[in-house]
Amino acid sequence: MKMHMLAAAILLVSGTAFAASGDAEAGRKKSQPCQACHGQSGISVAPNFPNLAGQNEDYIVHVLKHYKNGKRKNPIMQGQVANLTDRDILDLAAHFSRLQGLQVKY
Amino acid sequence: MRPLRILAAVGLSATALTAYAAGDAAAGRNKVYQCQGCHGIVGWKTAFPEVYHVPKLGGQNAEYIVAALKEYKSGERDFATMRAIAGTLSDQDMEDIAAYYSAGSKAAAAPAEKK
Repeated sequence: MKMHMLAAAILLVSGTAFAASGDAEAGRKKSQPCQACHGQSGISVAPNFPNLAGQNEDYIVHVLKHYKNGKRKNPIMQGQVANLTDRDILDLAAHFSRLQGLQVKY
Repeated sequence: MRPLRILAAVGLSATALTAYAAGDAAAGRNKVYQCQGCHGIVGWKTAFPEVYHVPKLGGQNAEYIVAALKEYKSGERDFATMRAIAGTLSDQDMEDIAAYYSAGSKAAAAPAEKK
């Protein structure tokens, strides 16, 4: 009985560790439309567009999902994410997060 | 001739940096005490309503940071903690904070390269 409880507890806690992650190479290919604004290396072409290079992967996923469900509003981005699947979002986040650019600054 | 070119490059890039940052990065350095506790710690995550890493700010575009802070302040962008913090910031504070975080960003250096 106790072993079952232990196994169940471990599985419950470790569930979050197995969250799906994206494929950076696939993301690189999918990032073509993004480059027009966010640049070839994730450094944006204009100062009002955010740099994406090196941004935290899960943060990018969070933001793209929020553009998709309307919780974050931006007419340009809303149009861009309309055709993205969850898979696309994971791959794009994996790609941009691995580029060199943004850093934690104290 | 070569020292002259180096001097010109430094002068141009310095101009580019000041031209893009309407705020004062040195002043901003003293205004980020509310930011450092989350955005200054590697690996720091939000807790509610969703869990994810808070965004990196070092090297972000100043204009974008200001726009984001204004959206948090107005409530257009929804996150309680950021709304509370942005609410305490004046427009000048936002410019200075943005200048501090964007200092040395690749975007700020880009105009010098184009010239």
